[in-house]
Amino acid sequence: MIKSLRWRLQLWHALLLTTVLIIFGGVVYALQWQTRLQQADAELDRVASVLTSRLRGLFPVPRSPNPGPWRPPNRGPGSSRPPEQTEDRGSPLIADALLPANVPLPVPPPWLIARPRDDQQQEDQSDARRRENRGPSRGGSRDGNREEGNRSGRNEQARDGQRGGPPEPPRDGSAGPRDSTRDQAGRWFSPAPGLGLPDEFNHLFEGDEHSFYFIIWDRNGTVLEKSKSVEEIPFPDLHTQADGLPVRQARMRDMQREVIHVSRFEINVLVGRSLVPDLSALHRNAFRLILTGLGVLSIGLAGGWWFSSRAIRPIAEMSAIAESISVKNLSTRINVSSTATELEQLGTVLNRTFDRLQSAFERQGQFTADASHELRTPVAVILSHAELALSRPRAVGDYQNTIQACRRAALRMKTLIDSLLLLARFDSGEPEIELRPVELDRLAVDAIEMLQPLADERHVKLSCRAEALTIDADHDRLFQVLTNLLSNAIRYNKPEGRVDVDVTSDEQSAIIRVVDSGVGIPTDELQHVFNRFYRVDKARTTAEGGCGLGLSICQTIVDAHHGSISAFSELHVGTTIEVRLPLAQNSSQPGVPSEASDKADTATSLTAASGR
Amino acid sequence: MRVLIVEDEPDLQRVVWTCLQEEGYVVDAASDGEEGLYKAANWDYDVIVLDVMLPKLDGWQVLARLRKLKATPVLMLTARDTVHDRVKGLDAGADDYLVKPFQLAELLARLRALIRRAAGQSQPVIEIGDTHIDTVSRTVTRIGSLIPLTAMEYSLVELLALHRGKLVTRSMIYDKLYDEDDDTLSNLVDVHVSNIRRKLGHEFITTRRGQGYMIND
Repeated sequence: MIKSLRWRLQLWHALLLTTVLIIFGGVVYALQWQTRLQQADAELDRVASVLTSRLRGLFPVPRSPNPGPWRPPNRGPGSSRPPEQTEDRGSPLIADALLPANVPLPVPPPWLIARPRDDQQQEDQSDARRRENRGPSRGGSRDGNREEGNRSGRNEQARDGQRGGPPEPPRDGSAGPRDSTRDQAGRWFSPAPGLGLPDEFNHLFEGDEHSFYFIIWDRNGTVLEKSKSVEEIPFPDLHTQADGLPVRQARMRDMQREVIHVSRFEINVLVGRSLVPDLSALHRNAFRLILTGLGVLSIGLAGGWWFSSRAIRPIAEMSAIAESISVKNLSTRINVSSTATELEQLGTVLNRTFDRLQSAFERQGQFTADASHELRTPVAVILSHAELALSRPRAVGDYQNTIQACRRAALRMKTLIDSLLLLARFDSGEPEIELRPVELDRLAVDAIEMLQPLADERHVKLSCRAEALTIDADHDRLFQVLTNLLSNAIRYNKPEGRVDVDVTSDEQSAIIRVVDSGVGIPTDELQHVFNRFYRVDKARTTAEGGCGLGLSICQTIVDAHHGSISAFSELHVGTTIEVRLPLAQNSSQPGVPSEASDKADTATSLTAASGR
Repeated sequence: MRVLIVEDEPDLQRVVWTCLQEEGYVVDAASDGEEGLYKAANWDYDVIVLDVMLPKLDGWQVLARLRKLKATPVLMLTARDTVHDRVKGLDAGADDYLVKPFQLAELLARLRALIRRAAGQSQPVIEIGDTHIDTVSRTVTRIGSLIPLTAMEYSLVELLALHRGKLVTRSMIYDKLYDEDDDTLSNLVDVHVSNIRRKLGHEFITTRRGQGYMIND
């Protein structure tokens, strides 16, 4: 069953469909995953931006852009260090850098916009500081800031350094005047409300293990601030780009998606979130996708089955018709107009094959009928003669006549049977020809000698012009061809007619022509003369002898020699039968050896003599 | 009874010819279609034996042309014995069909049947009064006793009996009882008639002077 075309089609169809669906599903899955990631990134970015903006609020940038290197108006003792990078860039760049260029700033959440007023109530003891942070940065406020700050001056210094000067990368625990200031950074920043995050925002960082978390490191890797839920995360140690532009990096850590923003002062803000909920949602989607895919597959397979049925139905019809064609029903044909184009072609080809088959069968049937007809007549002669002879006592002469008639009939049957057997042997593909060098000129002379008595009886003159020519052929069969042709030429000749036998050659073939001056063959019958049992003259009288197989046998024999035989005729002028046989390798070059041409001359004169 | 054989195989033609002649038929022979058609058209035969495969005109053509002229019973002889061939033969106007090789006895029986049918006589035995003419054994009996007749006498009796009640002209008698090569003098018919009268009674055959003879029904 699996071998049937239909099942194979279905199998391939299913395979293809499944592959397409898998690829499609995979792409959809990947796209979804990517979308989820992008969404997560966007969320994380937003959160990170908020955090960053918080940080910006903590470390405001002076408003007025100074063309020269900006100096904070009040430099703390900690800020004695000269700014490193900012000097050549100028502070506006820093301010710009705070807005990450590569990450589109998310729309600030409403609480962020509303912040200046709302948040004040919620703020804790660090109110003042935060207000100062958040509020429009003013140069003057910084002083107040410093004064008011109940925090250590180190913080201020740090802030100063961050704000006014180029960020000096903090080296954790390493020497540096400001190292000590950072010891309290965690305290300074923590807890989360320390950044002045609104409650809604804080909610983001509370809850189960899948919620947001964040960590803020300073440039030295000291954790400035982190959400409660987060565990220890190695310091990513990212830096702003050489031109001070902020850096954003997204990464996967196990199933956590994390976005790290590095902006001013190279504070690394990491915001992360577990993707497990997304993944489970994705898996649900994938499950739906698989279900849909299965549905599509089954619909596709059903459709494919239907299509293949449709496509195969004409084939099935064809095979049914072909099946129904038998010896008894040869005339059925495939209805070509009702099938598709390719199948139409197939149908046409099959019909042609059936035509050939039919005509072959008809020829076979005709042949059998002809053969049986030819055999029935002599049998009828023998039977009726015997019956008549036995019906009453006869004179001796009558018996002799009867026996002679029976003998003639039996001889005729023998000839016929021999011919039929010969044809049958050639038909069955055992040509039984024995190739040996044959001297064609000699052969022609022999044939003429053999038929001379018949020619004399009919007053037909035989002549021969033969080149000395030797080819590889079956001597006896070729002799049979020649005698057949000659006896035809003599029998169907006019009284006092002539028969010429020419043996010549061209580059490829030896050519034997038997030319008679007989009655000729009508053009429309000429094409049939090689057909079995075909007789131009329907006479079956024993005088003319043939049973209509002579030329068929000639043709069969010549075919077995890979030669060709053809007939040309003109009514009342004569008929020429031309036999072409391929020259053998060892054939003598015509006319070149003088001995051969002598021989040919001898042959010609010999036949001329015998023809007289 | 006069029969034409159209057969191109000389040995077969000869054997049929001999056989029919021995049976008392008058037999003409033709060796090809043209000759056969010519003879069939110009003489009145009681039956024609026609071979299918003939030179010049084949049997079908001869039959088709002959049927335009006359309805002489035709028995086709052929080597082909398919149903198609039989149907074709009978449709073409052949009255019977015999496949080679055949037995001469069958040929004779079929010919007799054809002749009887053509004369409107379906029985093989013709009864005229107390005289019985058996066309199979070619004998005449009167009240159970066999009347010895020569072949020619029997043929004449049979001819007249088949056409009893009708006048059989002298030329008809010549046509039916003598073949084309026969140069018997015409008055021999009178001799045969007087011999028959001697054996069967004078009133058996009525003479219409100058016209012919008949047997009264």
